Amino acid sequence: MSAAASGSSPIAGASRVGLGVGVVLTGLALLAAALSFTSAFDAGLALNVDARLAAPSGAHWLGTDSLGRDVFAAIAAGARTSLLVALGAVALGMLVGVPLGLAGAAAGGWLDESLARANDVVFAFPALLLAVLLAAALGPGAATAVVAIGLFNVPVFARLTRAGALSLFTRDFVLAARVAGKGSARIAFEHVLPNLLPALVVHATIQLALGIVAEAGLSYVGLGAQPPAPSWGRMLNEAQTLVGQAPWLAGFPGLALASTVLGLSLLGDGLRARLDPRRRTRG
Amino acid sequence: MPALARTLTVAALLCALAPFAVRETCAADGAARDVASDAAVANVESGLRGVARRTETPSALTLGLVLEPPHLDPTSTSAEATQDISVNVFEGLTRIAEDGTVRPALAESWETSPDGTTWRFHLRNGVRFHDGAPLDASTVVFALERARAKDSVNPLRDLLKVVRAVVAEDAHTVRIELDHPAGDLPTWLGWGNLVIVHPASAPTNAQRPIGTGPFRFVEWRKGDALVLARNDAYWGPRPRLARVTFRIVPDASTAFAALRAGDVDGFSNYPAPENVAELRQDPRFTVVAGSTEGETLVALNHGRRPLGDLRVRRALSHAIDRRAVIAGAMYGYGTPIGSHFPPHHPAYVDLADRYPYDPARSRALLAEAGYPRGFELTLKLPPPPYARRAGEIVAAQLAAVGVRVKIENVEWAQWLEQVFKRRDYDLTIVAHTEPLDYDIYARRDYYFAYRDAGYDALLERVQRSSDPAERNALLGDVQRKLADDAVNVWLFQMPKLGVWRADLRGLWRNAPVQGVNVAGAYFEGEGRARDEAGGAGSGRAHEAGGADSGRAHESGAPGRIGEPGGTPATAPAWLRAGLMGIPVIALALLVAAVRRHADARWLAGRATSLVLTLLLASLAIFVLVQVLPGDPASYMMGLNASPEAIAALRAQYGLDVPAWRQYADWIAGSVRGDFGLSYTYRVPVADLVVERLQVSLPLALYALALATLIAFPLGFWAARRRDSWLDSALMGAAQVGLAIPNFWLGLLLILAFAVGLGWFGAGGFPGWSGGAGPALRALTLPAFALALPQACILSRVLRTELGQALDEDYVRTARAKGVSEADALRRHALPNALIPVITLLGLQFSFLLAGAIIVETVFSLPGLGRLVFQATAQRDLIVVRSVVLLLVLAVVFVNFLVELTYAVVDPRLRRRSA
Repeated sequence: MSAAASGSSPIAGASRVGLGVGVVLTGLALLAAALSFTSAFDAGLALNVDARLAAPSGAHWLGTDSLGRDVFAAIAAGARTSLLVALGAVALGMLVGVPLGLAGAAAGGWLDESLARANDVVFAFPALLLAVLLAAALGPGAATAVVAIGLFNVPVFARLTRAGALSLFTRDFVLAARVAGKGSARIAFEHVLPNLLPALVVHATIQLALGIVAEAGLSYVGLGAQPPAPSWGRMLNEAQTLVGQAPWLAGFPGLALASTVLGLSLLGDGLRARLDPRRRTRG
Repeated sequence: MPALARTLTVAALLCALAPFAVRETCAADGAARDVASDAAVANVESGLRGVARRTETPSALTLGLVLEPPHLDPTSTSAEATQDISVNVFEGLTRIAEDGTVRPALAESWETSPDGTTWRFHLRNGVRFHDGAPLDASTVVFALERARAKDSVNPLRDLLKVVRAVVAEDAHTVRIELDHPAGDLPTWLGWGNLVIVHPASAPTNAQRPIGTGPFRFVEWRKGDALVLARNDAYWGPRPRLARVTFRIVPDASTAFAALRAGDVDGFSNYPAPENVAELRQDPRFTVVAGSTEGETLVALNHGRRPLGDLRVRRALSHAIDRRAVIAGAMYGYGTPIGSHFPPHHPAYVDLADRYPYDPARSRALLAEAGYPRGFELTLKLPPPPYARRAGEIVAAQLAAVGVRVKIENVEWAQWLEQVFKRRDYDLTIVAHTEPLDYDIYARRDYYFAYRDAGYDALLERVQRSSDPAERNALLGDVQRKLADDAVNVWLFQMPKLGVWRADLRGLWRNAPVQGVNVAGAYFEGEGRARDEAGGAGSGRAHEAGGADSGRAHESGAPGRIGEPGGTPATAPAWLRAGLMGIPVIALALLVAAVRRHADARWLAGRATSLVLTLLLASLAIFVLVQVLPGDPASYMMGLNASPEAIAALRAQYGLDVPAWRQYADWIAGSVRGDFGLSYTYRVPVADLVVERLQVSLPLALYALALATLIAFPLGFWAARRRDSWLDSALMGAAQVGLAIPNFWLGLLLILAFAVGLGWFGAGGFPGWSGGAGPALRALTLPAFALALPQACILSRVLRTELGQALDEDYVRTARAKGVSEADALRRHALPNALIPVITLLGLQFSFLLAGAIIVETVFSLPGLGRLVFQATAQRDLIVVRSVVLLLVLAVVFVNFLVELTYAVVDPRLRRRSA
């Protein structure tokens, strides 16, 4: 991780371009998700078997699917599902992982040790496989996807927080706070956490991108958001038998998926370069 | 002290490795047995072929099969896929002909007493099983008694409750006595579950079916293909095909490509109606749309409040436009029906317009019933595409009359548990595929919760009547009664979409019983001399194992499921060598680490934490698998099974002991390398894993090799020209490549290279028996789809590390001494950049091994990930938990190896991580 970041310093120009592209692509995904709430898009999602598998045209910019729904409207609605699930998963990961990481770093000893061990166990699971099991246990759906993906975000944020916090706890301003009589918990939240925020935000962006891919994968195998809620993964799955007759069904949702992921990871890299100058100069 | 610690460490590691090692010895044993039997089989096969060549042109047919059978014993599962195959291998006393009529089979004739309670069946003379055992009345008595026994796991056991006794009157006459008349008895005896099996082969039929039918079983390559050969000693008309291969093509998308590429000659029932229009245009194929016994319906739970009201049910019937459902869900294939009866049956009454599509009337009826504003219902949909597609349309149509429908997609296991068993549902959509199953409406506790004394009485009259005309009239009344009560909303009769080569004849148009009957199939004109490639070489025909079937234990034996049967792991030698190589490399690394830096305490600590992680993970897996909803035994037994039969199977599975015992047994077994028998396939889990590794391991290695081949030159190139536009462009491209999800890339690759250019197949895996060429070809596109994102990560890391190393002082010094830039890169920068790259490669390898699940789905490859996925859906929990644990072991172990590598390469790193 740090390696990739430090490499961006010599090509600062490219990094600025990257950040710009990232902002634009992420913005497009957000815009699509927002537009999907409008009634025009709702109408596009109505079934119309007579108009099925229409090629892209003026009436249907990106064509229609096997039940006659407008692909553009479905992609927009899919953006909403995708972003919500990924955001939920990141929120879950941060809400659980950050306090755990702080606690581990602040307390040390057996608590730290057993948290590390639990982290190891979760990391040892092939993520997608465990998600499949979880989805089977909890029943498929968007909420399950949030839990399954969020579970893997927990150790990511816990480790990041712990590592960052450990080094911060040795810094002078923390010692000063300790001398002033503040307890570990207070120090952790008042002094350590704010200093960790930039790194956390950067990581959240990257986990968001990974979460979107994971959500698409889960719904591709039928374990993500359930119909009629549109989802990019399921659209790709349904496109597969029709790939010869209606290639646009496989093309556009995938393009939306890839561009959102690209946007978020460029945004993450760009933010890292901006928010975290220490990392940039260290390499 | 260090010496002791060292010994302990090695011991701990050996424990961790034990499962691998033990498995290897077993596999090697199996291989030795295999070679011996192979030789024998090869002789038999070549002899057979010689005979065939003399009499007529040899012909081989390859049919695609969407669902792989769990096993091949039709007397212990209701799985349709089992009957698809077994219909050619086994026979009953009677058989159901293509037109649905009952014809003689093993019984030449039969008669019934005037009161209809005593039936006499006269057996055919000189019938022999495929292993040479003769058929006589005692065999029939054995088979039928076994099916109706107390511990029977036959899905039709309930049906046979009416039987009082089965008696052998003489060698060729069997008398069946009934408690009350059952006019359908000859029909039941023609169904696949009640075929006649021999006492000697009955326990091993699951893996090595031995029947009396026109075809005998040759081999089953799990996840790939099932092969049958003509039974030359068949009593009836000799089949014209010498060999029939059923190739497993699990995905609709692959089915299309397999047909067009000629991998299969056809599908008895093509899975994707959306492609049929396109296939019709293709002169190479015939499309034969027939009918099945599958009444597809929206089931209504009469036990739930509004649905018990007849007016509401009629309103729902009026709200649904069957023709739109058929157009939308089935692309126009399927006959609309208005009651629970197949249109191809002589007694059929057309009631499709009993409740014409009329939303206004529907709303009026709802208002009359007291629901002017409608109400809310959930619709639980099982996995088949017809149900999911029909569900969306039905929900939209019901919404139009004010009934708000919440769709909930469930797996089959959940459907069985929630809908079928616990009746926890409002609406569901499913096809009822059993023939003559109008009796379900009279069953107590059936999931519709429909009770009607008038209907029960009507059904009783049907059972008592033996005059065909009277019976058909009564069956008409049955249909009208069900329609009048609007018990369910019947949608359409499931079509059978036969798609096969234009010169193929003799396959059935309709499917009055489940099964892909190939007895009468042949190719018109020149018979093609296209024997299965590699058939003789790979022909591990299990029927040769006479010695094995001899020691098969009787079905009365308590405890575990019968013989694993002769399905030894078919891992090729190189794969076995490769598997052996992992522990060898590990030991070598360990020894090297210990010898070079004898920090045994660190090693012991790492090994302990490895074992601890595995234990915790195993506990987590076990708990997760335990709480999975859905019972494995119910799943296996299907819709018609009795609770007793399910309980018997649960006991066989070992599910009737407390959970902690199950866990302890599992761990103890795992350490010994014994992971138990798969619930579904009834073979050792370890064998399944070894089989799947033949796909997953080469795929992971192939992808890793591709990723390295792509990433190294790119990383080098970018590093050499660092900070140039080329560097930015390459790294930008890598960033874009990283954003492309591998399964979408897989789809695009299929679109371009399989559908477009036709260079590769669209999926599936031919196995290694046909040589490395076809197998590697099948793995190329998936490996590439997996490799590209990995290559992007790798090249970025490499570029960064190299770039950093090139800026170090020692490289500058080297350059100053006149070393060329290329040499500086290769000799000085690369070694230092290698450690993070090795770490990454290790991580990627375990990711590729376990994380290929979606790409395996895209390309329908029978790999490990897919095994877990399928086993989860089938609730083959014993497979799920062991495979997941093995994959966790792989991840943990690879990480450990990577750490050992550090310790060997760089002692400083070891101390730091301690």
